[in-house]
Amino acid sequence: MTAASLPGFPRPRIRRRELGLLLVVAGALALGNLSLGLTRNGSLGLVDPAGLLLYLAALAAVHLALVTAGRRVDEVLLPAVGLLGGIGLLLAERLPQDLVVQQVGPAVLGLASLQLVWLVLALVIAVVVAITVRSDRWLRLYKYTWAASGVGLLALTFVLGTDVNGTRLTLDLGPVSGQPSELLKVILVVFFAAYLAENRVLLADARVRVVGRLTVPPAPYLLPAGLMLALALGIVVIQRDLGAAMLFYAVFLCLFYLATGSKVDVVLGIGLFLVGFVLLALVFPHVRDRVATWLDPWADPLGTGYQTIQALHAFARGGLLGTGLGAGLPTVGGQLPIPAVHTDFPLAALGEELGMAGVLAVLGCYLVVVARGLRIAAAAADDVRALLCAGLALVIGVQAAIIAAGNLKLIPLTGITLPFISYGGSSLLVNGLIVGLLLAFSDRGPVPPGEPRRARQRGGGGR
Amino acid sequence: MTVQGRGGRRERPLGGRVARLSLALALVYGGLTLGAGYWQVFRADDLSRDPTDAGMIAADRSVVRGRILDRDGHVLATSRRDASGEPYRVYTDTSLSAPLGYASRLYGSAGLEAAYASELLGTGGDDPASRALAKFRPRGQRGDDLRTSLSLSLQRLAVQLLGTDRGAVVALDPRTGDVLAMASTPTYDASGIANPATSRAAFAAATGDPDQPLLDRAIQGRYVPGSVFKIVTAIAGLSSGAITPATTFPQQPAAESTGLLVSGYRVRDGHHPFTGSEVLDFARATEVSCNIWYALAGLRTGGAGMEDAARRLGFGAPIPFDLATASSQLTNGGGPLPGGFADNVELANAAYGQGEVLVTPLQMALVAATIANDGVEPRPRLVTAFVSPTGAVRDVSGGTLGRVLSQGDAAAISAAMTQAVEGADGQRFTSGAQVAGVTVAGKTGTAQLGGTGEPHSWFIGFAPAEAPTIAIAVVVEQGGHGGSRAAPLAGEMLRTFLAAKP
Repeated sequence: MTAASLPGFPRPRIRRRELGLLLVVAGALALGNLSLGLTRNGSLGLVDPAGLLLYLAALAAVHLALVTAGRRVDEVLLPAVGLLGGIGLLLAERLPQDLVVQQVGPAVLGLASLQLVWLVLALVIAVVVAITVRSDRWLRLYKYTWAASGVGLLALTFVLGTDVNGTRLTLDLGPVSGQPSELLKVILVVFFAAYLAENRVLLADARVRVVGRLTVPPAPYLLPAGLMLALALGIVVIQRDLGAAMLFYAVFLCLFYLATGSKVDVVLGIGLFLVGFVLLALVFPHVRDRVATWLDPWADPLGTGYQTIQALHAFARGGLLGTGLGAGLPTVGGQLPIPAVHTDFPLAALGEELGMAGVLAVLGCYLVVVARGLRIAAAAADDVRALLCAGLALVIGVQAAIIAAGNLKLIPLTGITLPFISYGGSSLLVNGLIVGLLLAFSDRGPVPPGEPRRARQRGGGGR
Repeated sequence: MTVQGRGGRRERPLGGRVARLSLALALVYGGLTLGAGYWQVFRADDLSRDPTDAGMIAADRSVVRGRILDRDGHVLATSRRDASGEPYRVYTDTSLSAPLGYASRLYGSAGLEAAYASELLGTGGDDPASRALAKFRPRGQRGDDLRTSLSLSLQRLAVQLLGTDRGAVVALDPRTGDVLAMASTPTYDASGIANPATSRAAFAAATGDPDQPLLDRAIQGRYVPGSVFKIVTAIAGLSSGAITPATTFPQQPAAESTGLLVSGYRVRDGHHPFTGSEVLDFARATEVSCNIWYALAGLRTGGAGMEDAARRLGFGAPIPFDLATASSQLTNGGGPLPGGFADNVELANAAYGQGEVLVTPLQMALVAATIANDGVEPRPRLVTAFVSPTGAVRDVSGGTLGRVLSQGDAAAISAAMTQAVEGADGQRFTSGAQVAGVTVAGKTGTAQLGGTGEPHSWFIGFAPAEAPTIAIAVVVEQGGHGGSRAAPLAGEMLRTFLAAKP
């Protein structure tokens, strides 16, 4: 791989570690596909070999593009995300294809084909962002613009959005429909990072005494934090999206801690959220119902508690090692026990077919992604970039934890996606964007971008 | 999970906090792991074997339940497919309704069909290893067959002999505990309940019947035992040493006419005037079923001794069995006297099977089987093996419930029971149980219920007395005297069973 580098073009850089890990991922996905084929057809053969090959080819293309670009970016993120996406694709192949059907031109695409299309698009976004984004100036300079546009997007969704399953999350603009709250995650992280980096010293040092030794930052600096709390609780009430609220607020608190180092503020923040949530539950019946269903789904086993109970049964049927891909999820009268298995309960499906071992492997993959993201944050050159990277990584890790905990009845069930595995175009594309940004910001190039002291050197070519 | 960057870089202002945050997140994921472990390991069995589990329901609708076979390989239950291809159950005979139960899409399952649902449906993994191995085999479209110890012909005969009466028969092999027949009447139409076309009507008929056919009287019915309980008193007296086979009570002959005064209450007898002034010993008292002698024996044994023997026989707790059994009781409990008796009157009455004593037919069959098996109580069982669709046989091991009394004491009781059937005076009550060419040991019971109704007719016994191969308990609700209804019924059962034996 030592192609002669042309002047002005980057010198390709071998990514040995990424290649090795990708080969492992390819092997694991091929094995999974074979086992699904064995269960389904009784003979050793691949299920939808074109889909698997296309996906592996896409991963290989991303790898080659990164090699060609020659940037010194993280080599573990892509394989970890690739494995999660591949598991999601395998699950989509295993589920009934008519769960989602969409007419695209002359072709009618089923669940697996659509998931593959979105996955490949997400990879394209990730690699384009990873190669082209060099500076985060455009993100940090306009933080209030971003924040305003995010709130605007949210308001637009509420006014123009369509209700799906009792929550208003989908914005339907003619041919294009999507869930803006997915993009809002990134926008909010950008805003948090910029705002907290700017005010971290003030938030940490200028304290006002409340009671005894308990101090909080002075009111003017707390205003944005208070707004954030109001926004989160507002999302619970108005959009009925408890998952997004928890995600935004948890990421905000994490970044607040990173910026100020004040554990007291974080505990106070959690307490305020819980108090606010309890008050909401007392006032709004739909919040109360959600909590009641969480505490005792068996009170209404065929109604509100149905999906939760079915998910727990799926976990139980899986046991330690699972039933094997394709052998679980028994259908009764042609119906899957969990209707929203591909969006809200993929972990329950994996828990049944791959067992607790599979659940732990998937959770482990998310931890790898977060660990890499936090590592990139720790190595970042300045506060904004560190908070930005940590926030982006946390969005993935916290979101996965929230939906997993909901599936396992550890917290109330929420309708957010399991990153990279759940079906859903908006979610996959935005997660692709996050991976792309993390990759771009992990560049260990000789000159850290965005430093005021030195002008940034372009590229690494011709060195 | 390291968050340390490469050395020699500029100061990383957030490094330490990133490490602590990573730790917090790792703890959250650890919590998720615990959650997964709770549902996937700790609660796995209880949830996935629940009848409302989608896996069980799906298996019920697609997997063909294994057959249920009798001891000779006769099919007792098999499956057919309805118009839509979903299987439903067909039972060979309504006489089997009590032990087999039913499996219905609408009404769930009962009996062996419920107790062994996961084996019959092939979803039952017994251990994680075989469950893991099962993943690599083609999916079973058929569950395991159950091989039972029942004899179809004996089961049919028992139900036929009970006729239109309500009652129960339990016959078992005293050496192994293998249940040969377990009848409860009236029976119900289990095939009708299982068949989707007739399910509702058949189930409504069974639940609406005032005679409660869905109650398995053999294991769930609790009856006043009357004189068959004297065998329990004999076990208690002999094994505690309170009495011996030679024990006599001088006051007994006089009490026959005047009644035995216990704490101001008179225990009356008077159904064997022909013994006159004879002072009865253990065997004679058993032969003529003397209530006075047994009341005195019970008083001498005491509440604690009675309770001890009853508990060893399995009173006071469900009997370990394939199906859920009701517990038999010696007293209502709570009385001030040892064993929970309220007073000596209750103890004296309990000694000959009245008082607050309530027993299941299975428990009394086990009492007979214990004497027949030289004092060791066999553990009863219905299912002897599972046969997989590929023909692999997995035997179910039998066992005992332990020694209840010594071999010598058992021999003494056996001799007394033999005299009760074959003795000159015993024949007056029990001749119906006799089998030509075979010595039968047994005891009748006539359980007074108070009020004006006919008493329950009881018999327990075993044969051949020298080397028993069958023990039996029969109860016919309001069937009159033990000797007139239950004993002849048992005799017919013993005759048929022993004639079929080579």
